[in-house]
Amino acid sequence: MSKYPFNKTNLYIALQYLTTRKKQTILAIIGVLLGVATFIVMINFMTGVNNFLDDAVFKGNPDIVIKPISHQKTNKLPFSIGPTTIENLEEISNELEANENVRAFANQTISPAILTSNYQQLPGSVNGIFPLEEMHMVDLNKRLIAGTGFSELSQNNIIIGISLAKRLGVSVKDTVTIILPNGKSTSLFVSGIFSFGITTIDNVRTYMSAKTLQNLLGLSKNITHINVKLKDRNNLDLKSLLLQQSKEIEIEDWKENNKTIVIGNKVRDILTWSVSLALLLVAGFGIYNIQNSAVFEKRKDIAVLKTIGYSSSDIIFIFLVQALIIGVLGAFLALGLGYLISFIISITPLDTSDFIIVKTYPVNFNKAHFILGFSFGVLTTVLSGYFPSRKASKVDPVTIIRGV
Amino acid sequence: MILEAKHINKNFSTPKIHRVLDDISLTINQGELISLYGESGSGKSTLLYILSTLDSAFEGSLKIHGQETTELSPKNLADFRNEHIGFIYQFHYLLPEFSVLQNIALPAQKLGVKNKKEINADAAQLLEELDIASLAAYPTYKLSGGQQQRVAIGRALINNPTFIIADEPTGNLDEKNSDLIFNILKDITERRKNTVLMATHNRKFYENSHRAIEMINGKLRL
Ligand SMILES: Nc1ncnc2c1ncn2[C@@H]1O[C@H](COP(=O)(O)OP(=O)(O)OP(=O)(O)O)[C@@H](O)[C@H]1O
Ligand SMILES: [Mg+2]
Repeated sequence: MSKYPFNKTNLYIALQYLTTRKKQTILAIIGVLLGVATFIVMINFMTGVNNFLDDAVFKGNPDIVIKPISHQKTNKLPFSIGPTTIENLEEISNELEANENVRAFANQTISPAILTSNYQQLPGSVNGIFPLEEMHMVDLNKRLIAGTGFSELSQNNIIIGISLAKRLGVSVKDTVTIILPNGKSTSLFVSGIFSFGITTIDNVRTYMSAKTLQNLLGLSKNITHINVKLKDRNNLDLKSLLLQQSKEIEIEDWKENNKTIVIGNKVRDILTWSVSLALLLVAGFGIYNIQNSAVFEKRKDIAVLKTIGYSSSDIIFIFLVQALIIGVLGAFLALGLGYLISFIISITPLDTSDFIIVKTYPVNFNKAHFILGFSFGVLTTVLSGYFPSRKASKVDPVTIIRGV
Repeated sequence: MILEAKHINKNFSTPKIHRVLDDISLTINQGELISLYGESGSGKSTLLYILSTLDSAFEGSLKIHGQETTELSPKNLADFRNEHIGFIYQFHYLLPEFSVLQNIALPAQKLGVKNKKEINADAAQLLEELDIASLAAYPTYKLSGGQQQRVAIGRALINNPTFIIADEPTGNLDEKNSDLIFNILKDITERRKNTVLMATHNRKFYENSHRAIEMINGKLRL
């Protein structure tokens, strides 16, 4: 006696049913195929965009920026035209050292400046940095297009964004002169050119040695900004803590500064999941319908199978395995189709917009997405095939035999 | 004695509660061809469904092959049916997706005692006996009514069951085919020592059976 419903005979009957209803079977497979493939493509693309923005915006910027309150006049230099600086630097540094959630922090002296090359004179800003600290803030080496990064930055070097470099008409080893608000100026060698892919950064940002800048500004050792990278970016407790301690600073955080991106990421996540679930639901419903009508059509056969000794679990297996085969086939084909479409998207050229600079659409080919899509597809079909199968197992042979 | 039914009662509750089988007791021995006849609505089919273990909603005791079937779980009952009971219906109920040979082989595949080769040999042997060997590979919908009923007999015989239940097996056939089917059923009881319990309205058949039992209003006139 074949004890378990999983046996060759039942499998054979199931296959026979599947192959004699070719049209419905193929339609059901296509349903799963489209549902799962769309899921894979969407999640690849959406997380690709999210990751790209995360990478470009959040990895290129600190999570928290501490600045002096801008309208407050410092007592020390009442008539200075230089930038306001952070007074209680030591206190804040101690706090940052002690805080659990701080991964790294770096001091900066930032000033507006006019940058001039042989061809152009443009407004911009200069970030005076301490290379050893700044290395923990920004992974500039990944962004370098030409020249060298922070580690090679000497007292008379400047690193500039690609768009700015283009507009100035300079490349590595050329000279750029900066003119500061106090009238002081100096000539610097371009040691590196970077691109974050974000226009607002690549257009204005420059890095130079903080010491050089402080000397020019006459603000020796004074700091205008403290940049902080957090271990958990979503935990912004530090911000309120610092604001409580000092009335002279203001703090920007990544969420505030990138509201549109944060919201965009959320919208993309919601879109991915809702569209995918809707499609899988449709595919599942299709299978439910097809199997339901199969059970109805086959109720006589089911009655006969029961009279010759097939048990309820045999019948469930016979119908469930049909759904399973449809699900596995559809989901399997969807892996290929999903990959293909994702690949095509990933090599599709993208017109550079004002906001981001990227050559093709960002796509995240994550194995987990394919596994997830496959599992979802199979799970959906098995779930939607289960109810018709159970219905089949409950067919009462007496009613059917009597009913003709 | 291969079947012993004692004090079987059966009520239906629709449209109102009414008794359809009234204190039925019956024993059947091996090799018998027993006919059950009686007016339409007297309860013949209802009794056959109970004796064949398809309907377990009844009062009383039913022992087949020494086993009290009312004590079996649904799963065990299915296995029991597979091994001990063959079915022939008025309408032939063959599976249209399968060939003649495959239809006959299904109960044996479920039983799982023999391998595929042996099962196919058994099925071919039965087709030979039933004189439809040439139809082995046919899909069943291409067969005539009489041929289909012979396939159904083959399917009922393949596991060499303790007994075969036939509910008006000739009810849907012309006279020539009816005679043919009846003769086959009689032949298998005499030659192969199979046991057949058959409901029929055909006087010629129940008078030619080994035993004929009339059913009147849910009671047996023995
Ligand atoms: N599911 C049911 N619900 C209610 N009453 C039923 C049901 N099945 C059968 N009956 C009734 O039980 C009685 C016996 O029916 P049964 O089919 O056993 O008669 P029968 O002797 O086989 O008749 P026939 O010769 O026409 O086949 C009839 O009165 C029928 O209406
Ligand atoms: Mg009847």
